Amino acid sequence: MKRRITFVQRIDAGFNPQQVTLTPSSLSVRGLDAAREDRITVELDQLPEQLRAVLEQSSGLHLRWASERPYDALAPFASRVSPGLHVHYTPLKAEDSSEELCTLLRTVVGPDEDAQYKDCTKPEESFISPPPSTRFGSLQYHTHLPTVDNLAKYIQDNVCTKGSTECHTQANALLSADSVDIDYDSISHALTVSGFWANPPQGGWNDEISKPSSAADQIEFGLLGAEPGLEPEEIKMGGLLAVVGEDQKLKPTMFSFPSRHQPLIEPSSYTVSFTPPTGLHPEMSITIPGSSLKRPPAPSDATCGLHTYLTLPSTVFGDQYQLKTTDPLFLESHNLAALNALAGETDLEAPDWVVDHWGSTWLLELATPKSQETGPSNWTATIPLHLRYLPPSESGYRTAHIPWPIVFWACTTEDESEAGPNPFDRTNLGWDGLFSPQTTFYQLQPAGDRLVEDLDVPVLRLSGEGLFKGKSIELGTCAVISLGFLWVLWKLLRVAWVSGVGSNDKIGRGVHDKKD
Amino acid sequence: MGLFNSAPRVFLAATALRLALLVYGGWQDAHSALKYTDIDYMVFTDAARYVANGKSPYARDTYRYTPLLAWMLVPTAWEGPTPWSTLTFAFGKALFALSDILAGWLIVQLLTRFYRFPMERALRYVATVWLWNPMVANISTRGSSEGLLGVLVTALLWATLTKKPILAGFILGLAVHFKIYPFIYGVSILWWWDAERDGSSSPGSGLLSKALRFLTPSRVKFVAAALVSFVALNTVMYLQYGQSFLQHTFLHHLTRIDHRHNFSPYSSLLYLTAAGGAETHFEALAFIPQIVLVVIALPLILAKKSLTTTMLAQTFAFVTFNKVCTSQYFLWYLVLLPFYLPSSSLIRKPTLGVFAAILWVLGQALWLHQGYNLEFLGLPSFVPGLYFAGLLFFSVNVWILGIIVQDGGEAADETEEMTEKYKAR
Repeated sequence: MKRRITFVQRIDAGFNPQQVTLTPSSLSVRGLDAAREDRITVELDQLPEQLRAVLEQSSGLHLRWASERPYDALAPFASRVSPGLHVHYTPLKAEDSSEELCTLLRTVVGPDEDAQYKDCTKPEESFISPPPSTRFGSLQYHTHLPTVDNLAKYIQDNVCTKGSTECHTQANALLSADSVDIDYDSISHALTVSGFWANPPQGGWNDEISKPSSAADQIEFGLLGAEPGLEPEEIKMGGLLAVVGEDQKLKPTMFSFPSRHQPLIEPSSYTVSFTPPTGLHPEMSITIPGSSLKRPPAPSDATCGLHTYLTLPSTVFGDQYQLKTTDPLFLESHNLAALNALAGETDLEAPDWVVDHWGSTWLLELATPKSQETGPSNWTATIPLHLRYLPPSESGYRTAHIPWPIVFWACTTEDESEAGPNPFDRTNLGWDGLFSPQTTFYQLQPAGDRLVEDLDVPVLRLSGEGLFKGKSIELGTCAVISLGFLWVLWKLLRVAWVSGVGSNDKIGRGVHDKKD
Repeated sequence: MGLFNSAPRVFLAATALRLALLVYGGWQDAHSALKYTDIDYMVFTDAARYVANGKSPYARDTYRYTPLLAWMLVPTAWEGPTPWSTLTFAFGKALFALSDILAGWLIVQLLTRFYRFPMERALRYVATVWLWNPMVANISTRGSSEGLLGVLVTALLWATLTKKPILAGFILGLAVHFKIYPFIYGVSILWWWDAERDGSSSPGSGLLSKALRFLTPSRVKFVAAALVSFVALNTVMYLQYGQSFLQHTFLHHLTRIDHRHNFSPYSSLLYLTAAGGAETHFEALAFIPQIVLVVIALPLILAKKSLTTTMLAQTFAFVTFNKVCTSQYFLWYLVLLPFYLPSSSLIRKPTLGVFAAILWVLGQALWLHQGYNLEFLGLPSFVPGLYFAGLLFFSVNVWILGIIVQDGGEAADETEEMTEKYKAR
């Protein structure tokens, strides 16, 4: 087991050397004001049977969970995903995907009270295939997941060895994390769990980290600050490092590395909303203050575009034919530039209950104001969406949880040189694979209290009793249609009685005699 | 009334109306993000583009039509500089609009030749119901293919009344291939085409000779031609596009899962059933009233009295009792109204006619209001709103169907009869 704890302080955060104490057996931090990343790497053979079964059938498994609370993604942890749980899975053999993964997913997502998720027995049922343009070929899954309670509980019950309070504490700590990553690939044969906390708890971080009990284990500690590097795509970090139980004192350090995820120097934000009434055709608005639209500090030869990446549950969908249009009038009226990639469930008619896939992902390039000066006024891009029919409910409504999309600049250079290693690199985010490797991303900050929009979807109102019983709809329809049918038959029989089935020009002959 | 006394004037005005709408539509499409062109037309033209590139039209989602349609619209896929591409894009709409005009011309021909209408009277009905009807012109110029059905149905009627059984059969096969529902006309035409109308002799009165008498040469030719053209077209399409052709053109209608709200009285029930909330599956029997009326009762009792009124009643019943009903379905019976209205009690008794029209419009308006509440305001108006509105609209339609049936029962479609009656008036 390897553990890496990194505290990253903002430039304005206070620090005095007494806050960190290193002894031969432990390291303690007191009232530390910093963001924190805690990363634990576990070898495959240290994992429980069920989990190992899943991983052994995977060539890659990457979970990305982000909180619904907004948080500040500071360098070098600048990348973002939409709130909820994202799973990127590549089976070892294409035809032999893991059923256990579905079981695991149910354990982690299922017990939630208002869990709306697409279940599966085999991943390919509910997982979607990536867009053909992606560099990563993994199957993709997403679900609304406000907390990682069940994940933490799973780790405590199955991964932690009995009596290990430290493991339990660490799993518990995930509950307050802003994002959680779990990574496995068949090359390293190790599982990495990382939590990220953008802000310290009340009173700062207080932690006592003991040296590992086994010699095979290692705990690295870092207290760092980050600033822009000399090159635009670089980040420079400096501070103190130590290996707990090995180093006698904290070692000062300074290093820089290239990073595909860069912070925007000037604060830039966006908000997402749906204009009421949303009806069955809600329109998503992404509003960006004019001041947030400045081109990022990328090299001048880089091509930059403002993008948004939507992660839509199956309850809501875009019309690909409407959105991939090149009609400038449509695009201008929505401030969109182009639909660059799309994957997943795009059926235009199916109600939600016949849809197996969890939903769809959309990479859209947004238009930016034509004039160079970006005024103070807001810039709004709109994306027309549509709701699926959902099953009946007692209230006549059901909720569709739509996570806020992420909004970012992507700047691509022609530079073919291979980027050096980045100790804080983050890939397999779903959207990053849709760009060339020479792309640098600059995230805009979502500004809201909660990064999920709850849409009221009108459905058939159905109660156990009274007028809105299912039975009354059945009987009412049946009765009215039967009456209508009998009425027309009655009219026809009267015609047949009076004039038979022949033509009326044979008056005086046959059945018609009866009338005369 | 001088307005309707010149055929060229009526047809020129109808053409001008469509041309104006085509030009206007092109202008609106080019200047507004809100398009005049119907979404369905984008489906057709996308499919035509696939076809032009040697691919299957079913590569386009929601293309649920015969490949013939995509083939016909291949010119819309021709690329070119701006004025040229606008023209090629409008090719399909122009074709649909032309079909409207042709259907109108055929109706006028039939009315004047077989129903001995004076030209002015024929023009009056055809212009008000069809040719000058802004709804008809709007639908075809926005790019909906229903106009093609109109011309096929009137052509079928023309071939039948001019006693061309083989041609009629071919047209029927084509029409059914195009859009399943015209098969209902096959039944009434078959029943109508008896020995008397066929001019064949009637030997004996035994059971065998009665059966033989039923098999008039025209009936045999009609059925054979219909089968040949239907089977041939489907075979060609199946060989070309395989299972996806069968799935999207025919099977889709049997297995469709989209129960979005529509005018059908079954709409709420189907939503309930599809979502798994129904106990008894009445909807599985929905075909019974529809088929009994449309395929058996209406043709059997009415076809020999008035073929056109029977066809109207069949269409009306088919649409009213169908599990899905949208406003384009109304066009299906609109094209047959000029044959029925002149002798209808809805015209003879204006109060009844106006009352029926008001009820029908009111039923629509009530439904549309509920539909608006759901679609745009997001109110859960499925029950009671849409449910009752759907049943009410159904009831209005059934009541009107009763009137049509009654009128059909009193009709004497024979051309000689008509002339005599008309002269007597």
